[in-house]
Amino acid sequence: MIDETLALTFRALRKWVRNPASIVPGLFTAIFYLLLFGSSFNPANLIPSGSGQGSSVLQTVFGGAPTYITYLAPAVICIILVFNMAFGGIDLVLDRQLGYLNSLLTAPVPRAAIYLSGVAQNLVKVLILGMLTFVVALLIPNGLKLPGSFGVVNFVGIFLAFILLGLGLSFIFTALALTVRSIDSLVAIVNFLTLPVMFMSNAFFPISSFPSWLRAIANVNPVTKANEAARLLVINGSLSSSQAATYGWDMAYLLVFAVLLGVLGSLAARRALRPE
Amino acid sequence: MTDIIQADGLTKVYRGKVKAVDHISFHVAEGEIFGFLGPNGAGKTTTIKMLNTLASITEGRATVAGHDVAKDPGAVRKSIGVVPQELTADDELSGTENMMLMARLHQVKGATAKARISTLLRLVDLDEAAGRKVKTYSGGMRRRLQLIMGLLHEPKVLFLDEPTLGLDVQTRSKMWHYIKGLNKERGLTVFMTTHYLDEADSLCDRIAIIDHGTIKVSGTPAELKEAHGGDIITLTLTDDKEDLTGFLSAIDGVKAVTRDGKVYRIKLPKTEKALPAIVAGVVQKEAEIEEITFSKPTLDQVFLDVVGRSMRDEGAAGSDSGWENIKMERAR
Repeated sequence: MIDETLALTFRALRKWVRNPASIVPGLFTAIFYLLLFGSSFNPANLIPSGSGQGSSVLQTVFGGAPTYITYLAPAVICIILVFNMAFGGIDLVLDRQLGYLNSLLTAPVPRAAIYLSGVAQNLVKVLILGMLTFVVALLIPNGLKLPGSFGVVNFVGIFLAFILLGLGLSFIFTALALTVRSIDSLVAIVNFLTLPVMFMSNAFFPISSFPSWLRAIANVNPVTKANEAARLLVINGSLSSSQAATYGWDMAYLLVFAVLLGVLGSLAARRALRPE
Repeated sequence: MTDIIQADGLTKVYRGKVKAVDHISFHVAEGEIFGFLGPNGAGKTTTIKMLNTLASITEGRATVAGHDVAKDPGAVRKSIGVVPQELTADDELSGTENMMLMARLHQVKGATAKARISTLLRLVDLDEAAGRKVKTYSGGMRRRLQLIMGLLHEPKVLFLDEPTLGLDVQTRSKMWHYIKGLNKERGLTVFMTTHYLDEADSLCDRIAIIDHGTIKVSGTPAELKEAHGGDIITLTLTDDKEDLTGFLSAIDGVKAVTRDGKVYRIKLPKTEKALPAIVAGVVQKEAEIEEITFSKPTLDQVFLDVVGRSMRDEGAAGSDSGWENIKMERAR
């Protein structure tokens, strides 16, 4: 089963890499978000210039981020993850519509390999985009500024959070893509899901500023957890013990989220791949 | 010869109401090319899907290569090769890469895989183009690649769904040549659907015609033509002074005669048997023959007789979905 999963995953990734048109829009969106949200949502803009209070707002409300983009970058990576994961399913719907899926189903390929290769290909695609986004954030002027104590461990820690979030999302979005029969319905569902997931989170503003009902939702949103974990590392580098505890809880939450959606997704995928 | 496919009262009901296939029974002998014909929506695809483990069986039973389709789908998948109507090879991958992927998915590995891939590519004359991306292939080349992609695990039965859809006449006859070769040289059993009746006629050992979910007739093309078509002699005399209809009808071996002026159309099972008597009779009646032609029956006639409408009418509309797929494939 592992061999078939790998074979199918590499097939999809090879197609992806050979077709630059599939990477460029995702990357473009990331740059766009960083620049657009990074300047228009920047809270320092609200403070009259010259008052010198811009940086203190960042200090008190935005967790001590040196720039707003530093605060924003993990969130943009999360958004890139959610969006591209959601739309990555289009390839799988196309595989069904173009008969490719049937050619797998009539071959002695384990059904689980078909599902898991979908999960893996989507995860790898979005993680690569996520890493590229990270690099872009570092490169743009007045962008992501990492603390002096930032090291390889922090980088791994950040992407571990993104991997867990991505895994959970991939489990459910892949199952969804295998279930729907048309791209239209996939896009409709994805649009319905992604916007709330994105805005009902701590992506752009601290949750503390939310009304209580929204805060309740944002607090259970896995995007919030992944963001919080990644942000702690991006802003602080080495963590204090209380920050480390928060990171630990966030990761535990994301792990449970991934496992739960893994179970749910597997059941849905098995249903979707049954003979009609 | 043993039966490699057996269908017994096979029935498919979709969503509890749409009866796509209604208690059909048939068998395909090992080494046979079996043609499954019928207009669109007749149940062809549904039947193939049930035999391929893509659709569940509502009622009845089917075995493929000795395995029960419903109870042991895994074993069935190992013994079948499926060449779908759609072109599923990856555009961005080369012919060889596509073949390698299929080999891996069928657990064919290493040297065996390499050897089979090169043999198969040579078999359909794709060895030179094998390194090129599939998006540079012509329609005929894609079909050929599709054909051999289903053969890497050396299946016992090959399912071909419209193998020549959208191909020009020359490329079609080339495909026939490859399919026949596989059948003769490898003893591969072929179960195929097609819209082209001439294709069924020249390729298939036996055919079945399905309509409205039931099998209307089955047999060898020759049997069906004899039963439903028969030969037609068109006899044109130099004048129409005398009506010979009754006289001609009485000749042994003649089934029916229609007259239009000096032209007679004589339906009969076999031209060769009655032709001498007809000519002798006309001479004896002192009539003069201006022209005499005869035509062998075609499956078109059989189809018309059995289904009540021509396959061609259906064929034009029917190939649409196939074309859509090809276009989509290109666009990808």
